[in-house]
Amino acid sequence: MEKDKITLGTRKVSIEFPGVKALSDVDFQISTGAIHAVMGANGAGKSTLMKVLSGANPGYTGDVLYNGQAVEVRTPVAAKKLGIQIVYQEVDTALIPNLTVAENVMFNDTVMNMKGKLFMNYGKLRRDAQEVLKRLNVDIDVRRICSSLSLAQKQMVLIARAIQNTCNFLILDEPTAPLSDTETEELFRVVNHLRDTQNIAIIFITHRIHEVLRICDSYTVMRGGMIVDTTPITPDTTSKEIVDKMLGRSFEENFPKEICDIGEKSFVVEHLTEHEGRVKDVSLYVRRGEIVGLAGLVGGGKTELCKTIFGAYRKSSGTITLNGKELKIGKPVDAVKNRIALVPEERRKEGVLVAETVTFNLAAASLGSFCRASFVNDRAADKNAQKFVESLSIKTPSIRQKVAYLSGGNQQKVAVGKWLAADCDVYIFDEPTKGVDVGAKQEIFHLINEIAKAGNCVIYATCENSELLSITDRMYVMFDGKVMAELETAKTNENEIMHYATGATDAYAAC
Amino acid sequence: MQSSTSMKKAGKLLVDWAAVIVLLLSVIVFTALRGGAFFSVTNLINILRSMSTVTIFALAATVSMAPDGFDMAAGTLGSFCAYVFASFYLWFAMPLWLAIVLTIVFAMVMYLLNMFLILVCKVPDMLATCALQFVHQGLGLAYTGGSAVSAGMSTAGWATALKGGDSTPLRSGWTPASQNIGKSPYIIIIMVLCVALCFVLLERTKYGRYLYAMGGNKTAAKLSGIDVKKMRFMAGMFAALFIAIGGIVVCSRNSAAQINGSDSYLMSSLAAVFIGRSVGGREKYNALGTAIGALLISVLENGMTMCGVVYYILPAVKGAVLCLALIAAYITSKED
Repeated sequence: MEKDKITLGTRKVSIEFPGVKALSDVDFQISTGAIHAVMGANGAGKSTLMKVLSGANPGYTGDVLYNGQAVEVRTPVAAKKLGIQIVYQEVDTALIPNLTVAENVMFNDTVMNMKGKLFMNYGKLRRDAQEVLKRLNVDIDVRRICSSLSLAQKQMVLIARAIQNTCNFLILDEPTAPLSDTETEELFRVVNHLRDTQNIAIIFITHRIHEVLRICDSYTVMRGGMIVDTTPITPDTTSKEIVDKMLGRSFEENFPKEICDIGEKSFVVEHLTEHEGRVKDVSLYVRRGEIVGLAGLVGGGKTELCKTIFGAYRKSSGTITLNGKELKIGKPVDAVKNRIALVPEERRKEGVLVAETVTFNLAAASLGSFCRASFVNDRAADKNAQKFVESLSIKTPSIRQKVAYLSGGNQQKVAVGKWLAADCDVYIFDEPTKGVDVGAKQEIFHLINEIAKAGNCVIYATCENSELLSITDRMYVMFDGKVMAELETAKTNENEIMHYATGATDAYAAC
Repeated sequence: MQSSTSMKKAGKLLVDWAAVIVLLLSVIVFTALRGGAFFSVTNLINILRSMSTVTIFALAATVSMAPDGFDMAAGTLGSFCAYVFASFYLWFAMPLWLAIVLTIVFAMVMYLLNMFLILVCKVPDMLATCALQFVHQGLGLAYTGGSAVSAGMSTAGWATALKGGDSTPLRSGWTPASQNIGKSPYIIIIMVLCVALCFVLLERTKYGRYLYAMGGNKTAAKLSGIDVKKMRFMAGMFAALFIAIGGIVVCSRNSAAQINGSDSYLMSSLAAVFIGRSVGGREKYNALGTAIGALLISVLENGMTMCGVVYYILPAVKGAVLCLALIAAYITSKED
């Protein structure tokens, strides 16, 4: 018996976080039996909208409509009852690694439907799990322990778990980002199979335009918390038209690019490959006084490249040269010895020691220079801290304040100041403006300009294209761990960056 | 609003100095109960002497724990060190200084095994050292031939063979110099020197900062260019040094390397370290805090014994103090 088509939608749904409108008056609709893509740049509101639909974001205003009727989906359980299932990108947060495939697939059943029962029926559990995997048409031994599965297989287990319950709408949040080409093919096959045989709607959140054009029936583009357009995909749909919709009119954030004298080639990376393949054959160079951008979307491999250069990830091949001398970097210590600095993306987790004072943090990368015969000279460390608190205008009541109590922007300045104290030649910034306000952003840009002006090499990785366009001299666009293009900042625009960042291999045709 | 913040501040102050307050209170209570017998120079020396061994083992734990490491096998390694020290001194009649130096070297060599498991094989500290406890116990007794090492007792089989079939030890008994190690004032001086060494290492040198940075956030420390493995190794070597000294002191105090003689110091030393962690709101494993923790335990044991509390209840008291210290440290932490 053919299931009837069911629709799911929103009417005037809005969400406000302090200071930001994450969604404003979103009207959205899908119906079962179709694959629908939701696209948009970072921060466009895709994930927020999906969280509303899956009940993970109860603080919305407006209505969620199920078959045209307003329903309440304020909890994940309520969403699941309506058959709305979501598979998040981080598969490991949802799986229980030390249980078997069968137990993971049937997990909801074990948790929800065991009232009054005490003993597990493992035979039935395995048969049921096998049944579900057969519906997906995938072949995984249900007795295997989940931690031994590949990422793609784990994803399948989660999809199986989702369809094991009533499932009318399956939301896949960036499912293909971590997958290889063949694994992606397998996922597409499963998704197509689900649509055709189970009458399920699949909502596909992705950055990868060419994948959308291949397998989706229609797409929605979001920007700045609003829906820009929803249209069916026809053979005439081009990636350029989608990119244009994603960007819309460009918001010009004006950060003055200060002119630096660009010197000779100083820092050169050739054919760098990370041993797990997170960075693939990357070559780039930086001249003295130059700010080189690393562009690309989240998951494009920018952070991985930064960490591989810095020795935090192991490289399997490639060379790194500074001023003509080849560097041997096996771990971060070697990078620091060679005067390379990394301001990492996860500020609180990796950049600063939150439980320590401002003084401690500002001396952390160069403690040797505040020591006499290994003994720390506290006065010298304090003086150093005082100097950078003033020159970077770090807002702190005292240099003895624990960094945990500073604001995000000031923490970032501490993370940068630490390296300024160490006097490096190459500075790598990974998303330095993440989570800082506009004022602090300006100051950080100014700071980076100053570093370049002093004749240092700067690498600046971010997924904010407007930042790249305003602060860099040149940029490399990354996708899937590879460099797709090298662009001259003065001669490019957001559309061209986006074109390469979404995985296009053909040359960009400006209109 | 204001009163609540000041209340909070007062509460925090109370928690931060809880160990010291309990220490002072117990001194007052015991003095009130026992007067001069408790509050006297002689008894102070008693207390200091009895806390010495615990303190030295606790310092070993402190340097391991500062960079977020752990050592469950410190006690058993201490016992092994005592066997080695006593055999070198008695069986082979080595000069005292040489026996001490060789014992320290021995502890460091044995500690390479810890470091191999932890740094090369990446076994979590707790599990690796749990396993090593048994290795130490077994190998240690294999070394002594299954018995304690004390004056006048015949040497183990392998040592007898080494000496050409003569099973009488080369030195007939302990000398005053070797016994002084375990007596006051020397034992107290040794303890103070160890505390000072640990204090300087952790508070005054860059290595100490590196270790604390690792304890706070290993990833951030690594990305700041700290060689985390090298630092963990260095901390391990200092732990080995303190363990060797601890083993020697216990041996000298007992005038024999008793079977598993130091094993029981492990838990007391960990208690001292945990009590010391929050002293003064440091929230870090530190040398002075550890010494205060050990002092508190010793004062309680000493005072209660004097007040006629039977000795077999004392562990319960020690445990209760440790519980209080842990409650003080964790009750304010936020839930995940």
